[in-house]
Amino acid sequence: MPQGNKRAESGWSRRDFLKTAGVAAATLAFPEIIISCGSQSSSTSAAIPKPRKGASIRLLQWTSFVKPADAEFTRQALEWGAANGVTVAIERVTGDQLQPKTAAAVEAGAGPDIIQMQYGWPQLYTDSCLDVTNEVNILIGKLGKPDPVNEAFCKVKGTWRAIPYTVVPNAWTYRTDYFQQAGVSNFPTTWDELTAAAAKLKGTGKPISQTDGHAYGDSLTMWNPVLWGFGGKEVNADGKTVAINSKETRDAMKWAQGAVQAGFVVHPEWLDPDNNQAYHANRISGTLNGASIYIREKIEFHKYTDVTNNAPMPSGPKGTFAMNLIFNHAVMKWSPDAETARAMLLALMDQTNYQKWTTIASGYNAGPFEALHNDPIFASDPKLKAFQDVVAPGKWPGWPALPSKKTAQAQTQFIVADMFAKSLANGGTGDIEAAISAAETSLKAIFERP
Amino acid sequence: MGTAVRTSAAPAWHRRRVRIYDREAPLGYLLLLPTLLVLGIFLLYPFLFGIWLSLTDSELGNLGAFIGLGNYRFEWTNTDGVFYTAVVNTFLYTGITTVFKLSLGLVMALLLNQAFPFRRFVRAALLLPYIIPTVLSYEAWRWMFDPTFSVVNWLLVNTHLVAYPGPNWLGVPFNAMAALMIVNVWRGTPFYAIAFLAGMQVIPLDLYEAARVDGATRWQQFTNITMPMLRPVLLVVLLLSTILTFADFQGPFVLTNGAPYNSTQLLSIWAYQWGIPGGAISLGAAISLVLFPLLTFVVAGVLFLLRRPE
Repeated sequence: MPQGNKRAESGWSRRDFLKTAGVAAATLAFPEIIISCGSQSSSTSAAIPKPRKGASIRLLQWTSFVKPADAEFTRQALEWGAANGVTVAIERVTGDQLQPKTAAAVEAGAGPDIIQMQYGWPQLYTDSCLDVTNEVNILIGKLGKPDPVNEAFCKVKGTWRAIPYTVVPNAWTYRTDYFQQAGVSNFPTTWDELTAAAAKLKGTGKPISQTDGHAYGDSLTMWNPVLWGFGGKEVNADGKTVAINSKETRDAMKWAQGAVQAGFVVHPEWLDPDNNQAYHANRISGTLNGASIYIREKIEFHKYTDVTNNAPMPSGPKGTFAMNLIFNHAVMKWSPDAETARAMLLALMDQTNYQKWTTIASGYNAGPFEALHNDPIFASDPKLKAFQDVVAPGKWPGWPALPSKKTAQAQTQFIVADMFAKSLANGGTGDIEAAISAAETSLKAIFERP
Repeated sequence: MGTAVRTSAAPAWHRRRVRIYDREAPLGYLLLLPTLLVLGIFLLYPFLFGIWLSLTDSELGNLGAFIGLGNYRFEWTNTDGVFYTAVVNTFLYTGITTVFKLSLGLVMALLLNQAFPFRRFVRAALLLPYIIPTVLSYEAWRWMFDPTFSVVNWLLVNTHLVAYPGPNWLGVPFNAMAALMIVNVWRGTPFYAIAFLAGMQVIPLDLYEAARVDGATRWQQFTNITMPMLRPVLLVVLLLSTILTFADFQGPFVLTNGAPYNSTQLLSIWAYQWGIPGGAISLGAAISLVLFPLLTFVVAGVLFLLRRPE
């Protein structure tokens, strides 16, 4: 019997079997790869949104710490609007006002067509954010894989609810002159080295300092990576089981107490702008922040530019971790011109436009797609490299659990930061057990709430 | 005759309208209607909606199902202590600041009621804390309490009242709570003072003259004339101020946002943290309404005192 007939009878060749079995095995072993491939392949059939002439689009954003970058973003948006007959308005509020404005719009079911989403807001306001899977797939087709942190925040139960926009990398900015004066040649690469450096810098009267208060950015970007670096976590990957009460958390807190007792200065009263001001006022020798301190020194103040450098996050026993400020754009369900809004966001994410913006942002922003990772701005100044280096080890609050309403609640209640702050009170002599117990109770209240 | 003919010729609807205008009670209600509508839309509806929200599992942007007192039970039985800290702090914050605002406002009003040069200018200047946009003034206070740039500490250190670097105003729980109260007293005292001043200006001077003729001292005039005559104003101001201070949000939010580690947490901020950034709007509503029964008693008490015959 000819080969072809055999195949026709059974409908199943050895090659078919091997191919099918291979795909099935790979699906079971690496489901994320298959999911990722699936979303990319769908980009081929993506419908490109078209702007409607005469439409009006309002976009709500924060006021960034680099004003020229805001101006460039507005310029691009208005230029796109003029070219397509669309009236574009960019509204800006301070970072801490963005969420109240967003919440008011969500509750009212009316407001800007596009809202800049910070951290896990797509999880909080899922039903108000339109499905933008099509647009993200178009971008994936053009720019490659999205940053995992942006993806974690934007994707809610498999559906993209926001378009990845940017990463604001957080790294250490420090004074090389004070470090040299204290006999510290390079910025520490481990948390233990940081303790030793802080002890030496104490003598200069210009300590390494950071907030452990209720700063929506700096407090979270500092204390979550410390916790993760020692193996601690708020909750297990299931997003349900609270896991803060562990030996690893105690190790992280003991490190923090040791660092403070040695000379690392924490400020529970500092909000996000305060460490910037202290650095520019020559009060401290180092702090963790976005690139804005360095950028403003470089382009505005010119006082300590030559003696300022930047360094990535130190490592803990369990590795190097970072937490960066993440922004994405959501098209809101009440928008009468949602397709125009989608089209505008795609234009703003065009590689040429995007890199014009990141160039003017001078290293304050990093791109959230593969093709944007090697942005020339980071090569233009070796001191900016640290900000590029902290993107890859970036995680999100609540990691290793995926972002959710619960992780967002734990984040906005500053549970991790408060746990550290309690143990660091009175010169780093606070009660570690009481601090962990309080954090555990607060986390259980959130994660065990129906 | 002619009049009778004209009356009988008037249409029925016109006669009814005339009757309504002639009767005092229906006309009164008619005139009240616009005010009731405004109050209903802007006060009653949000209030009732807030109560309803607190009894549901609603989230921001999603109206939920009725769950009874579940949100209230959740907070009262939550053992993390933040809610109870917020309750205690709210009472302390309201109680202590009210005592200071009342006393300082009264002293200020008594002083401003005297004749002195630039009196009008000083009276106008008194309103400055009210004229400056709230957030701006709180940001200024934040700067004044900042450990790095504190003008308050600079003053205290340079006058040798405290040793360098001075107190950490917003970084230590006790100091941070005191700082919140200082700012609230600064902002609230002019309200008391202006209200008391207005009350003092309508007290007939004859009473004081008669008292002086009878040989009353200044203190006796104050306790027997000024205070009794000020009583209605005092109670109304006290009532309004207590309610507003219980619900104060802007100042504490800008100055500490509950830090350090929730030691300055107030019910208003705690409700906000759950309701807005946390998205649990129903729980936020329950937290903000938790003291409603108590406040109702306070209001009822004050209203009772106001109605008491002299």
